[in-house]
Amino acid sequence: MTAVGVNDRPTVDPFTVEVIKDALVAISDEMFIAFGRTAMSTVIYEVLDYACGLIDTEGRIITQGNGVTGFLGTLTFAARQTLEKFGRANLREGDVLIVNDPYYGGGTHLSDVSLVVPIFYDDELVAFAASKGHWTEVGGKDPGSWTTDAVEVFQEGLQFPCVKLFDGGEPNQAVIDMIEANVRLPTLTLGDMYAQAGAMRLGQRRFVEMCDKYGWPTVHAAIEDALDYGERMTRLELAKLPDGVYEAEDFVDDDGIGNGPFPIKVEITIEGDEITFDFTGTHPQVPGPVNCTTTSLHSGVRTIVKAITSPEIPVNEGCFRPVKIVCPPRTIFTAERPAPVSTYWETMDQVTDLAWKALAPVVPDRLPAGHFLSVCGVVVAGNHPDTGELFLLVEPQAGGWGAAVDRDGEQGLMCVGDGETYVIPIEVAEARYGITVLQFGFDTEAPYGAGQFRGGRGCIRDYRAETDLTITATFGRHKFPPWGIDGGSGGSPNELRILREDGTVEVYGKCARVPLKKGEIARLVTGSGGGWGDPLHRPVEKVLDDVRDGYISIETADRDYRVVVDPKTLTVIGSSGKRRERSGATG
Amino acid sequence: MAAGPATRLAVDIGGTFTDLVSLREGRIGLEKTLSTPGRFEDGVMTALGAANLSGFGFLAHGTTVIINALTERTGASTALITTRGCRDVLEIGRANRPDLYNMRYAKPVPFVPRRLRFEVTERMNYKGQVLTPLDEDELRRVVDEVRAADAEAVAVCFLHSYANPAHERRAAEIVRESWPEVPVSASYELTAEWREFQRTSTTVLDAYVKPVARSYLSRLAGRLSEAGVPERGRYAMQSNGGVSGFSVASRAPLNLVESGPVGGVIGAAELGRRIGEGNIVTLDIGGTTAKSSLVENAALTITSDYHVERTDRYAGYPIKLPIVDIVEIGAGGGSIAWFDEGGALKVGPRSAGAEPGPACYGQGGAEPTVTDANLVAGRLDADYFLGGRLTLDVDAARRALRPIAERLNVSVADAALGVIRIANGNMAQLLRRISVRRGRDLRDFAIVAFGGGGAMHATALARELGARRVIVPVAPGHFSAWGMLAADLRHDLVQTHLANADTVDMAELNRVWGSMADQLTATFADEGIAASELTFVRAADMRYAGQEHTVNNVRIPGGALTEDDRRAILDEFAEEHERLYAFRLEGTPAEIVNCRLTAYGAVEKPPVPPIEAGGPEAARKGRREVDFDELGRREASVYERERLGAGATVPGPAVVEEPAATTLVFPDQTAVVDDVGNLIVEMEVAR
Repeated sequence: MTAVGVNDRPTVDPFTVEVIKDALVAISDEMFIAFGRTAMSTVIYEVLDYACGLIDTEGRIITQGNGVTGFLGTLTFAARQTLEKFGRANLREGDVLIVNDPYYGGGTHLSDVSLVVPIFYDDELVAFAASKGHWTEVGGKDPGSWTTDAVEVFQEGLQFPCVKLFDGGEPNQAVIDMIEANVRLPTLTLGDMYAQAGAMRLGQRRFVEMCDKYGWPTVHAAIEDALDYGERMTRLELAKLPDGVYEAEDFVDDDGIGNGPFPIKVEITIEGDEITFDFTGTHPQVPGPVNCTTTSLHSGVRTIVKAITSPEIPVNEGCFRPVKIVCPPRTIFTAERPAPVSTYWETMDQVTDLAWKALAPVVPDRLPAGHFLSVCGVVVAGNHPDTGELFLLVEPQAGGWGAAVDRDGEQGLMCVGDGETYVIPIEVAEARYGITVLQFGFDTEAPYGAGQFRGGRGCIRDYRAETDLTITATFGRHKFPPWGIDGGSGGSPNELRILREDGTVEVYGKCARVPLKKGEIARLVTGSGGGWGDPLHRPVEKVLDDVRDGYISIETADRDYRVVVDPKTLTVIGSSGKRRERSGATG
Repeated sequence: MAAGPATRLAVDIGGTFTDLVSLREGRIGLEKTLSTPGRFEDGVMTALGAANLSGFGFLAHGTTVIINALTERTGASTALITTRGCRDVLEIGRANRPDLYNMRYAKPVPFVPRRLRFEVTERMNYKGQVLTPLDEDELRRVVDEVRAADAEAVAVCFLHSYANPAHERRAAEIVRESWPEVPVSASYELTAEWREFQRTSTTVLDAYVKPVARSYLSRLAGRLSEAGVPERGRYAMQSNGGVSGFSVASRAPLNLVESGPVGGVIGAAELGRRIGEGNIVTLDIGGTTAKSSLVENAALTITSDYHVERTDRYAGYPIKLPIVDIVEIGAGGGSIAWFDEGGALKVGPRSAGAEPGPACYGQGGAEPTVTDANLVAGRLDADYFLGGRLTLDVDAARRALRPIAERLNVSVADAALGVIRIANGNMAQLLRRISVRRGRDLRDFAIVAFGGGGAMHATALARELGARRVIVPVAPGHFSAWGMLAADLRHDLVQTHLANADTVDMAELNRVWGSMADQLTATFADEGIAASELTFVRAADMRYAGQEHTVNNVRIPGGALTEDDRRAILDEFAEEHERLYAFRLEGTPAEIVNCRLTAYGAVEKPPVPPIEAGGPEAARKGRREVDFDELGRREASVYERERLGAGATVPGPAVVEEPAATTLVFPDQTAVVDDVGNLIVEMEVAR
């Protein structure tokens, strides 16, 4: 069979290349599943706040299995740091490296711990299996490690500066003992660690089996082909977009310790099949822990690049070759040591949202109006009423998405920073965490993005404390609600309400360790999405359907859509002249 | 079950064909007729008529009516009654976005719209203690509202009913009392597993299909009465791999959701039992899809993670019922080869289907398919497709493949081989997903290949994956229906019961399994099966303390559990954990999460008549050149399978043909016919 040559490497037929490319994706998926199925932290097994992948010896992603968008591309840097620090000569079979440096090495915040396993074939270093997972506990000043009022990284947990956790297959007991002594829930943390290492070994085993079958030169050629393919697909899609310069501005609410809001800016240039994101003009790094670092800036940009190009093809380094990112150092997007970063994800997701806001009018077939955006992360800590043992409930919330150019927004869906992430079932939460969930449903009272297509509803989730608890929360987009498009109105803000025994209500965007007495209620409210188009163009039947389903009230139907509904029969009894004129205008 | 001389039947209704296998006095009969969508019961009668049989004693029936009602959204307008505060649980679901970078991801639309979701005041906690009693007056008012809203079925699901179903049971009673005609499903009747969204979804889907299923089964029952099939002898194929009487099946018809595809898996397990092959991977390839399932130690693999319509990019709808674990991909004979925008050659999932079919069918299809590639590679005989009923057009196949050859600058023959290689690559991933990903090594397994395309691809996959042997059963096109004849009566229960496996009092576990056994015995009593005829098999879902996900179906010994059993259970769990995930956690306590119990009522198995002995010579039809991939283009002997006698040995390179399938014997393989006619292909050991 005629074959294609890749650079100066051996020639491989194009059919085998396709088979190997699929097999490479399958290896990442298998690692991903194994880690999730065995981990101890809810953030890993329910939230899927982790990623697993294969990296080549030049530090390029070959394939990556993701549960969330946030880690897109971060594994690259962990493998590169390993190579730079140790060099090929000092790595050997059976090594497992551990790294979580936020400012380098693919770091995000200290809770996200990367493990890197060098893969050898015939004594040659051929690739790395790498993964990054959010461990529930890595020590630091607060239970759950991330917090909203840290002022330097040293308060945010243990730092692993790329050291060997396993050396030639033998555990480095000193490191493991140090971890055990410095975290609050060592069984859980070490359980996650073993699960993650086990998954990397599976990946290593599969990669070697594949080399056994096809030979390393063939596999190597297939990898190069896959990277070129990723690049080709991205360029093809970028070339379809109109050339131009697109801008957006927004604000990060605050830094959790009283400063803010902070302006953020992007200028996006599409030229041919290349795209440049320039964040010059963004606010400098801040005292509280909402800073993100360069790795996260890249992840945030990569997410939107995937969204506007080829969301369906597997991720690899090639997909990002046509992408250029410009941002001065020491901004809120490019923070440097020792700036606190433990709630970095809020700001990383704002990178994605900012670029999204600039591009939505340009790529309406890929991007809807603004959504609730924030992970709305909470840490509920206390001692379980049955066992007296410490528990940590760490979870994200579902909220409302923006309307698209041709349909209503989704309701009760994870934010862009999350992905194959699940809300924790009420039944599981009640058994594990010393709370009772009094309601979990749509917030149909809040304002929402009215429009020809309306924004999706956010959610309300009530936790009644069954023992004395503390709650730490970071609800971004608390002060600047989701944006609408083309006449659609904006959505509603995210917020945490504390319902006290005496009837008072406290409202927070961010809070740290707020005490909740037994019987008091924490109400988690997520925002609704922005609308798209003029509300008066919304068909009367759809307005009526929304009233009948209780997504909007009769008053709202009248106010936003000029549709008058009879409260007894739930039928339309009138619509205003203004609506008739407008509807008539569109035919 | 009475044996007797009565005729036993299995009828498997698919979207296109209705397959019938009959068994009378040791003789097997096969029929294939066209299905009659809309009135499937007519198709059953046509098939019965064609078979011209009488004196029926037993009929097993596989149906797509349930899955069709779900995927075509033709079920009943369904209302949901749930715990106060939980109205939107069904719509929020788990809130996951599996299509990570698609900002226009659309969630599954709930089967019950918000206006038909009602809350009532009641509350249990996770220990099954009543926090707020059920407000029965309020419930009655809600039932009136549901009626006024013209709902046609009602689902009831309350929080923590897995721990204590008292409120749900009472609520279902009240609905049935105040509105006797409406079909009601309560979650406790279906599953006692925690996680309210999955349980609610299961309950809603059961209610949604109930009117359709009941109407279909009662129409069919009427027709079967006319045909003389006695009431006691009518059985429906359930997704758990067992059959159940029509009346029991009507109670929870969602149990029939995978009624069709399980037949072949049961058949493979039964075949394996007879020839001493306990570990099997099934490979069922049709025109559009390839399906695979694992049989281990002669037992079917059951999943509790089944979702209707789920893909890698779409969340789908969970069903928490025991369902045979079948993985399916879009790869079959009709799968089309195409280039994506980036220039990568792909095969499937789009299929040319039966209309227009592959280019070589000459029915207007112009796109290259896997069947076209197999034809050009010499693997299929143009003149013997479906036993010669359709002559294949080799030139049309070559024409269809030419654009691929030109674009890649290879010959048409190489393009054909390339398409086969990619299709085989997809199928190999399917077999890996069902085995390697579950910690199984395919070298310990045999492949049982059936459906029109199973035999064509299985021998190449066995070489690629190192499976020991390939078994092509007699009548591979009817294997699924044959399997239904072998299905036992079977019912399953799952009960969430959290316990520390290191310290739990064994008496407590005996109580849990004891009460489950009582429930299953009662179900079987309704089907006329006595307790003495039942076999029980226990299993548990277990994990290390701190984990969330469980290792499912850990074997639990039968009888009264004692302290001696504890070690065995813990060892079994740790071994399985290590097998699946490459590590175990010594010193970490293990937990039991779910207790599982399966009860079987055995049925008489279909005998397979021995065939006459005879060498291969009589069956040799000729020779042709066949492309054996890296083993080269070789002259291969071609054999007619029906003329191969028991003990016949066919060394590769060879092709064994029968009307419904073609088996490729590679140069390093040998095929042997066993005493009942199974074709067994083995790798030559010393080569």
